[in-house]
Amino acid sequence: MNRFFLLLTAGLAACGLSSCIDVVPLDVPKAGPLLSVDGQLTDQGKPATVTLALTQPYFNDTPPPPVTGATLFLEDDLGRRDTLREQTPGFYRGQGTVLGRIGGRYTLTIVTAGQTYRAETEIRRTPEVDSISLEFRNDPPSYDEGYYATYNGPELPGVGDYYRFKVYKNGVLFNKPEELIVSSDELVDGKYIGGLIVNEDPLVSGDKIKVEMLSVPRDYYFFLNELNRQINNVGLFATSPANVRTNVRSTQGGATQTAVGYFAGYTVRADSVVVP
Amino acid sequence: MKSRFLLLAGAAALLGAAPSALVAQTLPAADPAPAARPTGPNVTLSGYLKDAATGEALIGATVFVKSLGAGATANEYGFYSLTVPPGRYTFTYTYVGYAPTEETLDLTANMAHSVKLGTKGVETAEVVVLGKAPDQNVRSVETGVSRLDARAIKLVPALLGEADVVRAIQLLPGVSTVGEGATGFNVRGGGIDQNLILMDEAPVYNSSHLFGLFSVFNPDAVKDLKLVKGGIPAAYGGRLSSLLDIRMKDGNSQRLSGTGGVGLVSSRLSVEAPIVKDKGSFILAGRRSYADLFLKLIPDQKDNRAYFYDFSAKANYALGERDKLFLSGYFGRDVFKFGDLFQNNWGNQTGTLRWNHVFNSRLFLNVTALASRYDYSLGVPTGTQGFEWTSDITNYSGKADFEFFRSPQSVMHFGVSSIFYTFQPGNVVPTEARSVFRELRLQEQRATEWAAYIDEERSFGPVFSVQYGLRATMFENRSTGTFYDYVGQRGQQLTPVNPQSYSPSRPVGSYPNLEPRLSARYALSESSSLKLGYNRMVQYIHLISNTTAATPLDVWLPSTRNVKPERADQISLGYFRNFKNNAYEASAEVFGKQMDNQIDYIAGANTLLNENLEAELLYGRGRAYGAEFYVKKNEGRLTGWLSYTLSRSERQIDGINQNKWYANKYDKTHVLAAVGVYALSDRLSLSGTFNYSTGVATTVPDSRYVYQGLVVPNVNGDVRNNYRVPAYHRLDVAATLKGKPHPERRWQGSWVFSIYNLYARRNAYGIFFRQNEDNPTQTEAVRLSIFGSLLPSATYNFTF
Repeated sequence: MNRFFLLLTAGLAACGLSSCIDVVPLDVPKAGPLLSVDGQLTDQGKPATVTLALTQPYFNDTPPPPVTGATLFLEDDLGRRDTLREQTPGFYRGQGTVLGRIGGRYTLTIVTAGQTYRAETEIRRTPEVDSISLEFRNDPPSYDEGYYATYNGPELPGVGDYYRFKVYKNGVLFNKPEELIVSSDELVDGKYIGGLIVNEDPLVSGDKIKVEMLSVPRDYYFFLNELNRQINNVGLFATSPANVRTNVRSTQGGATQTAVGYFAGYTVRADSVVVP
Repeated sequence: MKSRFLLLAGAAALLGAAPSALVAQTLPAADPAPAARPTGPNVTLSGYLKDAATGEALIGATVFVKSLGAGATANEYGFYSLTVPPGRYTFTYTYVGYAPTEETLDLTANMAHSVKLGTKGVETAEVVVLGKAPDQNVRSVETGVSRLDARAIKLVPALLGEADVVRAIQLLPGVSTVGEGATGFNVRGGGIDQNLILMDEAPVYNSSHLFGLFSVFNPDAVKDLKLVKGGIPAAYGGRLSSLLDIRMKDGNSQRLSGTGGVGLVSSRLSVEAPIVKDKGSFILAGRRSYADLFLKLIPDQKDNRAYFYDFSAKANYALGERDKLFLSGYFGRDVFKFGDLFQNNWGNQTGTLRWNHVFNSRLFLNVTALASRYDYSLGVPTGTQGFEWTSDITNYSGKADFEFFRSPQSVMHFGVSSIFYTFQPGNVVPTEARSVFRELRLQEQRATEWAAYIDEERSFGPVFSVQYGLRATMFENRSTGTFYDYVGQRGQQLTPVNPQSYSPSRPVGSYPNLEPRLSARYALSESSSLKLGYNRMVQYIHLISNTTAATPLDVWLPSTRNVKPERADQISLGYFRNFKNNAYEASAEVFGKQMDNQIDYIAGANTLLNENLEAELLYGRGRAYGAEFYVKKNEGRLTGWLSYTLSRSERQIDGINQNKWYANKYDKTHVLAAVGVYALSDRLSLSGTFNYSTGVATTVPDSRYVYQGLVVPNVNGDVRNNYRVPAYHRLDVAATLKGKPHPERRWQGSWVFSIYNLYARRNAYGIFFRQNEDNPTQTEAVRLSIFGSLLPSATYNFTF
């Protein structure tokens, strides 16, 4: 959707009604810190990892203050339990007694500063990636001349699958706000996803494109989708800024927000291609 | 004798608007003797008031008998009816900008009599900006009503030289917008979907071209428009905040003529001519933007398209003295295409067939059959990602409206209407076999809206008159399909439960409502009055939009089991006063409005192509209150107006802002507009407008966190609209130069030179937050200005 509106805005500019965006100084209120969670568990045989930090004032560009000395453990639906140990300040990793598996359900517990938080997630079914291939295009303005990497793979029959695609060029993740790719199968259910171009600019000889396809839980899909909107929320059709959901909840109850971020389970399937 | 006289005066007051004014003016002049003694039962003079040159019906023109102090006003079709005792009278026919016409008639029996009025010579030095009769604002029982004629719209400096109906309306008190480039307009703290916009009686669902920069109405085809903000008559309903009644020109019934213009953005041409002189006429009017024609010259852009066009056609024909048929149609479209990547187009289509029938000199009927549709399409034309997504709202409607000039003291309006709606919220189909997309069709909904109304304009002497009425409405959602209840925590996405099947015999929702309406006028003196207005309005269809400005893709949703009809009660009180023999008119109005069942959205709601849209909707209350001040100078070389609105618009929604009241996104504390037109000579006039308004309410983050390298804004406690975008202000100027008058030539040209945003202020449309493009750990606030600079333009207009 956002891309469409970007294109429409480009259309306006083409009409000579050039709008403009400039940076302005602004005093915004400063809020007290909340616990921020960035954690995942995949089906790739590696233990869970969690990064804990505190939120900081919006215009504070220093690295987020890590939350150290917290107690974290992960339980699954088979009754197993894993304790996550702090590796570097604020970064915690499990011991491997709980690993991600398709169909598994997991609960992460975080105890810090006298508060207990819980986050629940699951790992869902996944299709496979058939291949990442190359396609030569030369039809500007849509595509400048050159090679583009395309994704090819099936989508599982039955609505209710959700995906994130992570694209790496020469080992570096495309991770600008507008490069977050999240999608549901609502419009493509059970279809073969072929010839889906994954990069914006034409590739040159020697470039390597790797695509990771993550099958993500429904709630995490909404989290990513909301996050996507908030970090790309500029323009004529922007929405009023609003908080992104979280699955990290304080066990003490109460309706007010106490933590932000997400602990997510997902599968990872990947393939890559090198431009000859 | 005297009491009879008073009654008559009252009748005139009732007969609408302006004449009562004239009445009251003459009344205090002690005992003006009637020209003839009444000798029998009253007789009625009725007919049409028309423009002598074009045959256009003159909406709101007046006929007046000075000796009786009695008068009447022409309705939307130019029909008037004036009942007087038999006798010999001098009738005066007047209309703003037209030379008053007098004639003396012997009235012994009912008489059908149509009159043509001629414009005042050269229509330059005297520039009358607004209104239909000089003191209509004080005399009419209507409250919260503004009228603009097409000339006024064209006098205001326009964005890129494109005279625009909706932009002109935004200069009136009580009217605002969330920003330039935003579609629609907001009236007295209401949403853009709460305005009933009628074009020749057909509802228009999206009033904008190019997102919101221009409105869909071709100013060359518009004859008259009326905005009613309060005390809305019972004949109208279905939206909470206002009625914008736009009447298109009927077409010149005297000779072939035309108007047109060539501007930077678009060109216009309209042609009108008689079908049979004095019996029927037609008008064809079209315009098209042509920025895209330049795109073709740029190799990179040659496959891109971006343009809009609209076309309207109207014909009328008199079937004898008593019957008249009108057929009108409108078709407008915006088209965008970016190579093979993307296409999007949208537009309105309306068609109206009307039949006027004069039963007798006191009973007038209009029967209307109409269709209206708004639809859009978007998608990728070809390839593996090829799809087309379409959506529309379509309605067919029939109605009958009677106007009964019951007695000199009483005019009644009554009628019935029915609307049949079809809503297609979204259908997606792949454009070719290899497309990755599958077919998806969101559930179609169907609904009917019935209404019956009656009202009476009644006068109790010259100082007091009322218009009171009642509208009974019934809405039934007659969709076939499965509907759900939704459970969960308010403010979070809800879960559908309890699926239920519905069919037309078992309506999804059935909502009857009674909507009382009232306006009253109390004359304090010849030139001042107090007016009170009350209305209850009910709205059964809702525009689902959670962006700051509505997008062309937003869909209308009918009331269902869960989505209840919106309701509003509004009270307004106004003081109207004219000075210096109506050279100046002024008003001050206060209003208060309460709204139920207002719709809002959970954070991050997905309002498009969502099969469980209702899972993301929230409901609550709204309230708006404010004061509007208006001063207008009608005469002299300098004319214009000043309007200022102080208001507040808030809502309380369970699940938003901790369930506390918060400012609506279109809440603006101060809105000021100044419009001036100065006639330097017969050929040259200068005009200027100044706008000032408080910035819109928005939410700013108070904290941030980093998730997988992406910086995410956050607001502790989920507060909503905790910040104001900087104030908006702008000055526009224009000069209009008419060609040298050549009475022997029919072609008359004029140039309009204008500069929009003269001091090049970068007004903030919105303040947004993002990561710095070069340094992703750095966050910044950015200002989006729709126009970063001043915009000069030149337009050539012509008539023939």
